[in-house]
Amino acid sequence: MVAMIELIDVHKSFGHLHVLKGINLTVQKKEVVVIIGPSGSGKSTMLRCINGLEPIQKGKVMIEGEDLHGPKTDPNKIRQRIGMVFQSFNLFPHKNALQNVMMAPIKVQKKPKAEAEEIARDLLGRVGLAEKAEVLPEELSGGQQQRVAIARALAMKPDMMLFDEVTSALDPELVAEVLSVMRNLAESGMTMVVVTHEMGFAREVGTRLIFMDGGVVVEEGDPREMIVNPKEVRTQKFLSMVL
Amino acid sequence: MNAFFNGEIFKESLWLLVKTLPTVFEVLILGLICAWSWGLILSLIRLSHVRPLRYLAGAYIDLFRGLPLLLLFIFIYYGLPHAGIRLGPLASGVLGIALCYGAYAAEIFRAGIQAIPKGQTEAARSLGMTHGQAMRHVILPQAVRLVVPPLTNEFIAMIKDTSLMSVISVPELLFTAKEKMGVVVNSTPLTVAALIYIVFTVPLIRVAARMESQRGRRKPRGGKSGGTPSVEVGGDLQTADVAGQLP
Ligand SMILES: Nc1ncnc2c1ncn2[C@@H]1O[C@H](COP(=O)(O)OP(=O)(O)OP(=O)(O)O)[C@@H](O)[C@H]1O
Ligand SMILES: [Mg+2]
Repeated sequence: MVAMIELIDVHKSFGHLHVLKGINLTVQKKEVVVIIGPSGSGKSTMLRCINGLEPIQKGKVMIEGEDLHGPKTDPNKIRQRIGMVFQSFNLFPHKNALQNVMMAPIKVQKKPKAEAEEIARDLLGRVGLAEKAEVLPEELSGGQQQRVAIARALAMKPDMMLFDEVTSALDPELVAEVLSVMRNLAESGMTMVVVTHEMGFAREVGTRLIFMDGGVVVEEGDPREMIVNPKEVRTQKFLSMVL
Repeated sequence: MNAFFNGEIFKESLWLLVKTLPTVFEVLILGLICAWSWGLILSLIRLSHVRPLRYLAGAYIDLFRGLPLLLLFIFIYYGLPHAGIRLGPLASGVLGIALCYGAYAAEIFRAGIQAIPKGQTEAARSLGMTHGQAMRHVILPQAVRLVVPPLTNEFIAMIKDTSLMSVISVPELLFTAKEKMGVVVNSTPLTVAALIYIVFTVPLIRVAARMESQRGRRKPRGGKSGGTPSVEVGGDLQTADVAGQLP
């Protein structure tokens, strides 16, 4: 079976700053890969390379067997299959929750408005925000905004989802509601790559844990095993700090 | 007869000058549409990823921000005919406004677009939108709200700058007032023209001021991130108003 995501020796620099130094990563269908690592280790950059928001200098990014940077590939088409959720929500502030979720199906997939609305209302219901459909982002709590953002990404019916520290900007009491939506999503069989510091989520939902440091994958393994028994010293140090 | 102010001449001039308003509005509306469309196009080129085009747009903007509008009007109306390009007074006026105010509008639009957080573009692109779609559906609708106050200021300046067209014989307020002044040997027509300008500009000045103070008061809500971006290009844009250079 072809992998959902395959990074092959991916190098990424910002000017002289070498951020990703040869990343190899394969994500199979229905896997929930949790990525941890210190600040600046290149976690966000790696996610952004997966959906081509950042160009890479060397290596290959394969999405469901297609070379993201291939000469015949349209990266916009590939991005439609990869949902992404950001730390800072990035909802469109001039549109209400429903319109946020409907926009891409209408403008990108050219779905009829009625169909897009049905999809959007259904998704808002799934993230527990059916009654907030007509509300502007600025009137929603952070947790609610983030759930709308997840619904917005799901509206494109993506094959996989990328989450970049989606609970880090939330007040502690709002973290659980977002994690529970992500947990449901994982249970429904979504392929997910999740950058997070929520070790509980990693342990309970993750199928694989990856520790990154200095732009390389230092260690990977089963989350339940790796959290209690990390092999690398750097992993041990990091885990002792976050646990 | 008082050569400074005369009631009879006041009434006469008022009617005479009000009759020029359709011309003024025509130039203003056409000028505004051309200048702001041109400005938007310029700003998009200025922000594009094609380096030569970007530099070209930048050079244009600097050039036309650096030229006095009065000179531009005279150049278009009296200079271009020597190159075989003959434009009527009104067309010259609209072209001058479009060329000059387009450059200012471009800077305002650029600032407006750049004030939208990068995360907005990224969210749009991550949903599969093309650069153009992200601009059209996500960035520009937000940028437009930010540029309304500075563009209102531009419009005020533009209203005043229509008076510069008196040197290329556009029958607008100042041109007509000066002609009348010559006939009646009295400064009353000028006073009337001044009043008419004020009737249009002062309410707009109040509106612009109100929008600016409202913008300052809006508070962001929810989450730890966010904040209301604003366009801070107001100050130096007043240099577009060169009405003071009239001989
Ligand atoms: N657009 C950019 N331009 C220049 N440098 C960048 C850019 N984005 C990231 N970097 C740099 O790349 C390095 C890795 O950043 P990245 O955001 O991927 O780290 P991270 O692991 O996600 O960290 P954090 O946990 O703080 O989010 C950092 O040193 C950062 O300063
Ligand atoms: Mg990050």
